[in-house]
Amino acid sequence: MNTTTTEATVLRDRVTADPPSPKAKPRQTLGRMLHYMTLERGLFWSMIVLLFISQGLKVALPVLIGRAIDIISGAAGGPATGSSRGTLQDLQVVVLVIVAVGLGIVLFSYFRDRVVAILAEKASYHLRTELFNHIQSLSLSFFDRQPIGELMSNVTNDIGVVNAFYTNGVSRILRATLIILMTVVVMFILNISLTVTVLVVIPLMLLLVGALGRVAGPAFARLQEQLGATNGYMEETISGGKTIIAYRQQQQVGDFLEKHSNTVRDTGARAQFTALLATPVMGVVNNIQTALVALVGSIMAIEGAFGFGTVVIFLTYAMQLQDPIQELGQIYNSFLAAMAGADRVFSILDEEPSVKDRPDAVQLQPIEGLVHFEHVDFSYLPGRRVLRDNSFEAFPGQMIGLVGPTGAGKSTIMNILTRYYDLDRGSISIDGQEISSLFQESLRRQVGVVLQEAFLFSATVMENLRYARENATDQECITAAKEANADDFIMQLPQGYNTLLTERGANLSQGQRQMITIARAMVANPRMLILDEATSNVDTRTEKLIQEGLHRLMEGRTSFVIAHRLSTVRKAAVILVIKEGEIIERGSHEELMARQGFYYDLYMSQFKGALAKGK
Amino acid sequence: MFKHFRRMLSIYKGAGWHFALSQLLVALAITATLLIQTLNGQLVNQGVQAGNVDVVINTSLWMIGLAIIGAFFSIGNAVYAVIFSEETGNYLRVKTYRKAQSLSFGNIDRFRTSDLLVRLTDDITNIRTAVLYGMIIILQAPLAILITFILTWVMAPSLIWIMGVVMVVVVIVMGFLLNGVQKMFSDRQQRLDQVNSVLQENLAGVRVVKAFVREKHESRRFAAAAEELRKTSLAPAIRIAMVNPATNIIVYLATAAVLYFGGSGVMVSQTLSLGQVVVFAQYLLYIIVPMVMLAYLLPYLESGETSAGRIFQVLDAEPEVQDKPGVEPIDWERLKGGVVFEHASFGYRSEDGQMESAMVLKDINLEVEPGQTIGFLGATGSGKSTLVHLVPRFYDVVEGRVLIDGINVRDFPQSQLRQMVSLALQEAVLFSGTVRANLLVGRPEASEEEMMEASAAADAHGFITAIPERYDARVTRRGNNFSGGQRQRLSIARALVPKPRILILDDSTSAVDVGAEARIQKALRGLLGKTTTFFVAQRISTVLTADQIVLLENGRQVAVGNHTQLIATSPLYREIFESQLGKLEDLPSSVGGSRQELKAEGGPA
Repeated sequence: MNTTTTEATVLRDRVTADPPSPKAKPRQTLGRMLHYMTLERGLFWSMIVLLFISQGLKVALPVLIGRAIDIISGAAGGPATGSSRGTLQDLQVVVLVIVAVGLGIVLFSYFRDRVVAILAEKASYHLRTELFNHIQSLSLSFFDRQPIGELMSNVTNDIGVVNAFYTNGVSRILRATLIILMTVVVMFILNISLTVTVLVVIPLMLLLVGALGRVAGPAFARLQEQLGATNGYMEETISGGKTIIAYRQQQQVGDFLEKHSNTVRDTGARAQFTALLATPVMGVVNNIQTALVALVGSIMAIEGAFGFGTVVIFLTYAMQLQDPIQELGQIYNSFLAAMAGADRVFSILDEEPSVKDRPDAVQLQPIEGLVHFEHVDFSYLPGRRVLRDNSFEAFPGQMIGLVGPTGAGKSTIMNILTRYYDLDRGSISIDGQEISSLFQESLRRQVGVVLQEAFLFSATVMENLRYARENATDQECITAAKEANADDFIMQLPQGYNTLLTERGANLSQGQRQMITIARAMVANPRMLILDEATSNVDTRTEKLIQEGLHRLMEGRTSFVIAHRLSTVRKAAVILVIKEGEIIERGSHEELMARQGFYYDLYMSQFKGALAKGK
Repeated sequence: MFKHFRRMLSIYKGAGWHFALSQLLVALAITATLLIQTLNGQLVNQGVQAGNVDVVINTSLWMIGLAIIGAFFSIGNAVYAVIFSEETGNYLRVKTYRKAQSLSFGNIDRFRTSDLLVRLTDDITNIRTAVLYGMIIILQAPLAILITFILTWVMAPSLIWIMGVVMVVVVIVMGFLLNGVQKMFSDRQQRLDQVNSVLQENLAGVRVVKAFVREKHESRRFAAAAEELRKTSLAPAIRIAMVNPATNIIVYLATAAVLYFGGSGVMVSQTLSLGQVVVFAQYLLYIIVPMVMLAYLLPYLESGETSAGRIFQVLDAEPEVQDKPGVEPIDWERLKGGVVFEHASFGYRSEDGQMESAMVLKDINLEVEPGQTIGFLGATGSGKSTLVHLVPRFYDVVEGRVLIDGINVRDFPQSQLRQMVSLALQEAVLFSGTVRANLLVGRPEASEEEMMEASAAADAHGFITAIPERYDARVTRRGNNFSGGQRQRLSIARALVPKPRILILDDSTSAVDVGAEARIQKALRGLLGKTTTFFVAQRISTVLTADQIVLLENGRQVAVGNHTQLIATSPLYREIFESQLGKLEDLPSSVGGSRQELKAEGGPA
């Protein structure tokens, strides 16, 4: 039975097999992985008990069948164990016992598998949530190091593989190991010479299982690699399909894929064939084993050592041993895959947040908004300085504009002001308190952020607004939406504030999404504000509404505005011009224009086209 | 039943032969296996029961021989099945991919690239698996059942009723157990997708989460989704947990029945021999196992069928834009780059390929002289990109005409059109390889100087030469190792290398900062003497100097003219200008003479 049901899953397991990372400490990883299965003590122990009972009964059954055969054989005048010349009544009793034991096996293994399922799902649940919670605690630098797409696919795939191991692997390994051990013990008790005959073939069997595994494992790994490359190529060229059309590359990419695909076919054929080879090859070995047992057993039975029933018992045991041995060989690959997956999961779990609250951290009391940067140096990666010796001051209620070329360090100033990263040197203080001495949470509650990318959650409009502050009332949210000029279009949505936004707010225009993020920042009602101006495509009227909303949001709050359009910061009290990590100019728009420096050039370059044309 | 799947089985060229051979080999392998069981009976009856050691040895050797022969048949079958399934998968992958690449923009919009990719990857894998299992297991199972049934009947007709009962019970029990399991698994998949989408959203919005200090809320949200998944996962797991015990109980009860009724047949009525009883018990497994296998693997066939249907949707799709039959290239001498739109209207098709009622472009009339620059302004969704896509015939107009140098674009071969028109699209897509390979894709024979000239004009030469490998620098998948602005500049350079008659820059400097954009503009003016250039832009500064600026609103052209004309005549244009660059009155005095010009009242510049 087992060989048949697992055929398909085994192939899949093999395909997903991944070599473990070199630094894996196998025993430690295994223990840690299994730990999640044992969280429910009671259930775990009942699984073990059920396992012993069900496998024990399974080993007992062939003995009963052998006994029945003996009775029949004896009655028919053939060889039988002992002196019993069985009667139909004896047969009846044995058959009834067989039925009872059969029912017992079924009942116990059903409960066993049920408990396994419950344990496995609990284990996956705990691992998943623990990982997620841990990721929440990590600092932004962690997310910088790993592209989100990659992190996402790692986490989902790895948990998937470990989950598969919990549901399938663990109990299969236990079942297989247990039945092998119990069967061997019972066989030795019954008859030693026949046991030796059965076991003689086992080393050959193990050798073959191992050899096939050693060939199939790498073959599937190679297939997986080539398939990954081919799928990657298709992903690239299909998602860039319009560019392919524009540059007339259809034929070329088709030819290239065909080459790739032919390699996949050849490797795939080899890998699948090796996997399929297992069944007939093991079949031959099994049949040789059966024939040997039949031969030796029959001769011994004829010589009167025991009845034919004993031969049947050993034949059944021989068969009963084949499945678990093959199974262990098959599970090995998925076991490796699970270990590799678990290893990556644990490496995330072992990651420490890079920005931590100090042990003596204090709560930030409600602030006025006086911000002080003093000789701030900062780098994301050691040795690659992004900000150099920046000092400036922002007074309560002031608007500070940050201007400069891409990559100059404007967004970095925002990142360190909210303490997503710690400084290399210098200090940042708010109302005289150094931010590194504060609880991160209390700092961020008072510093509102409107990001360039208008990110919304797939939830209702109201839930998105309330995201900023859990205890905000509906009325507060609606007032904020009105202030941000968002109320009008929200009311026109099918369900108004209860309209469900699709993932990343795709059913709103970009301008509308921005207005919601502005309203969201208003709900938070922060004392200070950081705005990363969006460069997105919005029409003039929407742009105007957005600007109005932003100005209302900034009113009375110390605000930092990272500007991409210079018109946005014209009204700023101070504009900081940042180039290559340094503040090279500062002053109001008028002052900077009068100075005719970098800002002036930047400003005038907008009209360059017009000027050139004019001349 | 399995309409698509049968079509799929015939798609691989060697289909007939390999299929027939593999099935023949399966039949032979099954026969060998069953013969071994029959020999078992002989072993018991003429060997053990009769006490004949010679028979025992002989029979055992025969059994081993048959086992080896049977194994060879099985291996042979595996060879053909593997070749067949891999060839089918390969053939489908290549064919579907080529088909996908032959489709037009309109088809791609409707299929969506992510969906096309799923078809090319997961669906092909499903089909391959289904074909493989179909050939090695599913088709052999009915055969095995049939042969076993007949052999049993011949051997022990008095016990055949047990076999009949077993078969009916297996069908009922498996039907009961596996019915609805598919749905349970797809429910589970749905929950898993939900868990993953919470994770995805959380990771994508990590800055928002941190900004609003909502980590705990996110954890609760995730735990709720994970809990739902846990609960939903239990149902199919428990159902599957029942399959093995259920099968076993059938085997045990049937074995008990065979022992009892067979045993009384031997002991009481003496109509049966011990050997027959032993063999019969073995045959039980040969009936039940294939039946259970069938029940298990039927879903694979079903998903293969669904996948095959989805693949055929692609294979049967007609490219929306097709060359006229027998179309000949136009003489290059005639082509100067003048473009005319005549009452051009366009609407996208809906999912099912029907025309949408709403037009995206309505009655566009433009006349562009060779060498002119045209700027397009308008809000998102106003139709700017769509309009310029009509020139290289990425889409066909629904009404009206688009002409290049007086010739309808439908009368060109598409390949010539696209050789003549170069584009830098909104989303700058690069391909893995080298910078050079990417730049030369439009004209592989371009010289080194031409390539560098183009990248210098696109303000890309500087950052390319800053990389040690310069033009041989690696480009990773989709150009991810370059920043958005760098990708855009490379994409502009790529469009410049072929020296096209017509150049289209579709919002292709949106991620480039203002300074760099000004440099590109200036360089392009030097390079593009005779090239007709279409600019689609969000920033008004991009189009200020165009010979004609076209203002689009909801698919209609609401104003056409140069800057000087529009600032005087179009309030909308003036509004856009002022919102992006500041009030005309506020412009710095140093803009001087040009300030007058910017404000000039009508008249061509």
